[in-house]
Amino acid sequence: MIDFLQNTLDGLALGSSYALLALGFTLIFGVLRRANLAYGPAILFGCYCATWAYLETGIGLLFLALIAVAGSALAGIYVERLCFAPHRKGAAAAAMVASFALWMQFEELATLALPRHLYAFPALYEGGPLSLGRLTLRVESLVMLVAAILVCAALWGVLYRSRFGTAVRAVIDSPAAAELSGISVSAVSLRVFALASAIGGLTGFLIVSGDQQLTPMLGMWSTLKGMLAMMLGGLGSLPGAIAGGVALGLLEAHSQWYLGPQLRDFIAYLLLFILLAVRPPWMNTRSAY
Amino acid sequence: MLRVVDLVTAYGKIEALKGVSLEVREGSITCVLGPNGAGKTTLMLTIAGVLRPRQGAIEFRGEPIAALSPHAIVARGVALVPENRLVFAHMTVLENLHAGAYQRKGPYENDLEKIFARFPRLKERASQDAGTLSGGEQQMLAVARALMSRPKLLLMDEPSLGLAPLVVEEIFRIIAELHRDGTSILLVEQNAHMALRVAQHFYLIEQGRVTFSGDPGSLAEDELIRRAYLGSARA
Repeated sequence: MIDFLQNTLDGLALGSSYALLALGFTLIFGVLRRANLAYGPAILFGCYCATWAYLETGIGLLFLALIAVAGSALAGIYVERLCFAPHRKGAAAAAMVASFALWMQFEELATLALPRHLYAFPALYEGGPLSLGRLTLRVESLVMLVAAILVCAALWGVLYRSRFGTAVRAVIDSPAAAELSGISVSAVSLRVFALASAIGGLTGFLIVSGDQQLTPMLGMWSTLKGMLAMMLGGLGSLPGAIAGGVALGLLEAHSQWYLGPQLRDFIAYLLLFILLAVRPPWMNTRSAY
Repeated sequence: MLRVVDLVTAYGKIEALKGVSLEVREGSITCVLGPNGAGKTTLMLTIAGVLRPRQGAIEFRGEPIAALSPHAIVARGVALVPENRLVFAHMTVLENLHAGAYQRKGPYENDLEKIFARFPRLKERASQDAGTLSGGEQQMLAVARALMSRPKLLLMDEPSLGLAPLVVEEIFRIIAELHRDGTSILLVEQNAHMALRVAQHFYLIEQGRVTFSGDPGSLAEDELIRRAYLGSARA
């Protein structure tokens, strides 16, 4: 029983990082109806910027977080203008393939600047884990959990309580009607890319400072986990993205414990395959949040 | 106010508009009549910036607007109520109106009150999703949303399409009111009888060309048009 509870706790913490990745993915997918494969690599770019700054100057964690967020947002803007703005009408495959090309570009750039496979990243928290009765929780995991809740609340506020949010939801609902209402789809799309990539940058920072290391695999890992969680929750729904992320985290934590680490990813992809084949109702909605 | 000169718009090789010229005077209601497939909707979409013309010019208050995107044309004071209404189905009625006011700087609570006074049904349903409204209510919402941008020229593409006679009456009552309050209107209609009651100038478009231009009197005089659009009875 205690193992089950501990796994659930670990799964929730892991799942909150997946939920954050899926949120950014879903924002972009909702606005453009396009998959942005360069989402993870943009996060990689931001985290490499932070690592480079750390190696060069040794500045503190708060600055590193800011650099990771800003670097990811800039990379996101670059991806939008280069891959998605030219293909806003039609050519979904062209935009996706172009974003794959930028994925390669970011990875090459990162490994050219910092060629080692592994870089140490300063720890978010130096002390040991918290104990809750017989359960233990890493402080890093707690921070991730809290960050996920705060980001969700902030995003909800932006989408439902601000002028910009009204414009974003209008574009998601009907780009044609949004333009006719005086909303620039191009401007909204660019700002959504920046916002989603900034959320990704924050998530990336929390992951690498929790792991205390950075590898070039972070880009692919972020894209895969984010996309998987987004698809589990049904494409294009923000609550779905959160649920998909948490579900993926729980699934991984439990299958790792009961079936071993080799089968962990296999189980996740098997579930996705089954869901795509069966298509339960929540995966068919084209809901606008 | 609006001048369209020799406008050609094409879908691939097929020219839907083959050199259309027309004019909307400040403070007038101008109506475009024509059969299905004549190019009326293409004309409206081209003026609103959704379609790019292949040739010709569109001037609004002396400024060329043919190369602008739709949101920039809204900013200049031209708003389209599209044929299929295109309300934001997953947003509430109130949010639809906020979206319509996106370009407004400064508060617009007064406009909201005016809109709700003019469309009491929308006030009743302010917090309901627009997708749950009836066809007539969605048409009212589409008009109201366009009005939130405070247009100087309102383009309306077949506002009576598919609506019950009583609702059509209400739409035309609102068109007359808007006109009285100083909004210029370019109206596309199949319902010539209703249009004759409000419009001051008519154009007939057939197969992408203007084949008639005149006031309501000369429209009713024209034997062919009368037979095609007004039935046998004299209007």
